[in-house]
Amino acid sequence: MQLSRPRLDPRRLGAAAVMIASLATAAGADDGVDTNVTWYQEQRQGGQGGLTVIHPQFDGAVDVGEHTTLSLGYAADAVTGATASVYAVDAISTATKFSDLRHEGTLGLAFAGKRSSLSATGTVGVERDYLSLAVGGTAAIDLPGKNTNLALSYSHARDQVCDKSNSERQPLERRALTGADACAKDNGVFGADTLDSTMTVLTTWRDLVIDTAQGTLTQNLSPTMVLQASLYGQVLEGFQSNPYRRVRVGPNEPQEHIPDTRARVALSVRLNRYLTKLRSAVQVSARAYSDTWGVNAATMELAYSQYMGSSLLLRVRARAYQQTAATFFKDAFFYETESTAGSYFTGDRELAPVRNAVIGGKLTLLSIAEDDHKVWGLFDRVDWNLKADVFLLDELPADDADANLGGRGSQFLTSGQLLDAFELQVGLRTAW
Amino acid sequence: MRKSLLIVVVTVLASACGRFAVRPNEKEHLADPIMTFTQDPQESSADEHVLSNREGAAGGAGAGGGGCGCN
Repeated sequence: MQLSRPRLDPRRLGAAAVMIASLATAAGADDGVDTNVTWYQEQRQGGQGGLTVIHPQFDGAVDVGEHTTLSLGYAADAVTGATASVYAVDAISTATKFSDLRHEGTLGLAFAGKRSSLSATGTVGVERDYLSLAVGGTAAIDLPGKNTNLALSYSHARDQVCDKSNSERQPLERRALTGADACAKDNGVFGADTLDSTMTVLTTWRDLVIDTAQGTLTQNLSPTMVLQASLYGQVLEGFQSNPYRRVRVGPNEPQEHIPDTRARVALSVRLNRYLTKLRSAVQVSARAYSDTWGVNAATMELAYSQYMGSSLLLRVRARAYQQTAATFFKDAFFYETESTAGSYFTGDRELAPVRNAVIGGKLTLLSIAEDDHKVWGLFDRVDWNLKADVFLLDELPADDADANLGGRGSQFLTSGQLLDAFELQVGLRTAW
Repeated sequence: MRKSLLIVVVTVLASACGRFAVRPNEKEHLADPIMTFTQDPQESSADEHVLSNREGAAGGAGAGGGGCGCN
C-alpha cells in the first residue's frame, strides 16, 4: 500500500493558525476540562471509498493563583482514505489508499487582571513526515466602562516538512515523496537527512516559517447587541508544496511546485443580537480574504441560538464561501496540453476556484449548579454537546470551459459531487 | 491632517463606546453565553481545522470574546 499525503491534511491549518483563535479565549478560561471527538467523512468518486478523519481533543485549565491559569491541551488526527497521487484529467485512476496519524500538545499560561489579560501558549505537533513548533501570545484590555475590548495576538511557528532530496533538480524534474520513503528524525522529533549506503541523501526536511498576527475590537453597541471586527495577517515563508503530489505537465509528472512566500490578510466583522422575548440570539458574520497568490475569498454566515426550557440550547447555522483560483492554478487539461502558468503548478483543490456551503446544527444539554447543589457533586457546570454539519461543494472552472476537451469531471476525487462531506461531533464541557 | 483625522476617529470611537454606551446593570443579556462569539473553543478549533482543508483562505475568522465585553 502506498502511503501518500492525505487529501484532508491535518497539518494545513498548522499550530500557528489554531493558536491565534485559542489564545484569544485562553485568558478568560474557567477551571475545567473539555473533551470533544469529531468524525469527518468526505466522499470520493470512482469506487475509492471515502476519506475519514477522527479528531479527538482534550483541554484542561486550572487556576494556579488568584490571577493565573495554567492550561494543557492534546489533539490528534487519525486520517484514512483515498487520495490522488497525480493531478491529471483522470486523477481517479491514480488514486491510492493512505493513512496518517498526528499528535499535537499545547501548554498555556494566562494572567487575568481587573481589566486586562495576557496569555502565552506553546504548541508541538508531530507526525511521520511533519513537525510543527509554535509559540504565541495575546494581550487584551477592556476600555473604561467595559464596553470595548481590544486584543492583539501574535504567533510564530517553525515547521519542518519531509521531502525527497531534489536540491539539484529543476522544478519539472523534481520527484515526489512516497509513503515508502523514510523520513529520519533526530531524537525521534527533529528532522534529519536520510542517507543510503553511499551517503547519498534520499530524503531531507524543508523549513516553513509562519508568522501570524491578529487585532480584534469587540464593542457593545446596546444592551442586546455586540459587534466584533478583526484584522488578520499571516506570512508564510518556506516549503509549502504537498511533497507527495505530482502534476501531469505535458509528458512529465513532477512534484507540485508553488511559491515559497505567501502573505494573506483577512478582515472579518461579526454581530450578535439578543432577542429578549424569544431568549435567543442571532449571529451574523462576514469575512473578506486576499493573498499574494491571487486567492480572494468571501464568507457569509448566519447562526441562530435558541434556549428550549432551562436545560437545552439549540444552535443552527448556514455558511457560504467562495474563492477565486491562485494565479498559477490551471484545470488539469491545460497543464497537460499547454504546460504551466509561469514557474509554478499545483493540483491543490484549495487553490482552485470553489464554492462551499455548510449547513448544520448543535444541541447542548446544560446542567448548571444551583445554590450549594453542584452538578454530579463536583461541577459548577456540565454541558453535553452533539453537533452535525453537512458540507456542499461546487468546483468551478479555472479556465475556458469550452476549450477544456478533457473535462473537469475527474480531475479531483471530489469532482461532480454536490454533497461532499459531513461531520459529527460529540463533546463534554465541565467547569468547577 | 492625518493626526487630526486620527484624533477625530479616536474621539468618536471613545464617545460612542465609552463607559456610558451600556451601563453595568444593562449587561444581563450581553453576558449570556449565547452572546459570546466563540461559544465553544474546541468546536471553533475543529471547525477551523476542517475548513482550512477545504478552502484556500484559512484563518482570520475572528476571535473569542463578546458577551459583556469584560474579562
